[in-house]
Amino acid sequence: MQASVGDRIIVHGHSGDEPNRDCEVLQVRGPDGRPPYVVRWGDSGHETFFFPGSDATIEHFEHSAN
Amino acid sequence: MRTIEALRRSGVGIGPERTIRDAAVVMEQSGVGALAIVDGERLVGVVTDRDLVRRALAQGLPADGRVDGVMSAPVVTIDADADLHDAFALFRANAVRRLAVVRGEQFVGMITIDDLLMDLAGDLSDLSRPVTAEVVFGHHDSRVPGA
Repeated sequence: MQASVGDRIIVHGHSGDEPNRDCEVLQVRGPDGRPPYVVRWGDSGHETFFFPGSDATIEHFEHSAN
Repeated sequence: MRTIEALRRSGVGIGPERTIRDAAVVMEQSGVGALAIVDGERLVGVVTDRDLVRRALAQGLPADGRVDGVMSAPVVTIDADADLHDAFALFRANAVRRLAVVRGEQFVGMITIDDLLMDLAGDLSDLSRPVTAEVVFGHHDSRVPGA
């Protein structure tokens, strides 16, 4: 899994009643866009390290060169 | 046999300098029961909701104390490429409900007893389907030629 700063990660709920959660990638700490990432969670605004598993998908966004 | 990689959940971590309150808030808002404590890129411990109760609340520690003071270390780990039987063996040998999943020395996520139980339940359901069909719809054995 590879991400860039500004990408959005969605963590899918593990059961039917568990909602999806999402976070924004603030820093990429691994080589070549790989984890760990420092992220900000959309629902709480908290910043944590994040290590995506099989329950997570990344939405990439185009990043301008400026 | 499936590997741990196929089942592992995303891991959430915080730095060792963060507070006990931070850990509790992140757990509550992340919907996880355990956090990796990460110093730089290195996994230095794991703190669980149970650690917060037993080692912080019950001992009267202040909520602004450092989280690494109540974390569990060393951490019981399993490699992401190990198979599920290795996880069963580790859960049997250690009194833990979660294992930190690593690739080399890099923490990559968590796997819990619940994850294994849910996976096993799925396998059992798949196995029971033909048996159930046989009970409900009768036998469909091949006939002996000429019988």
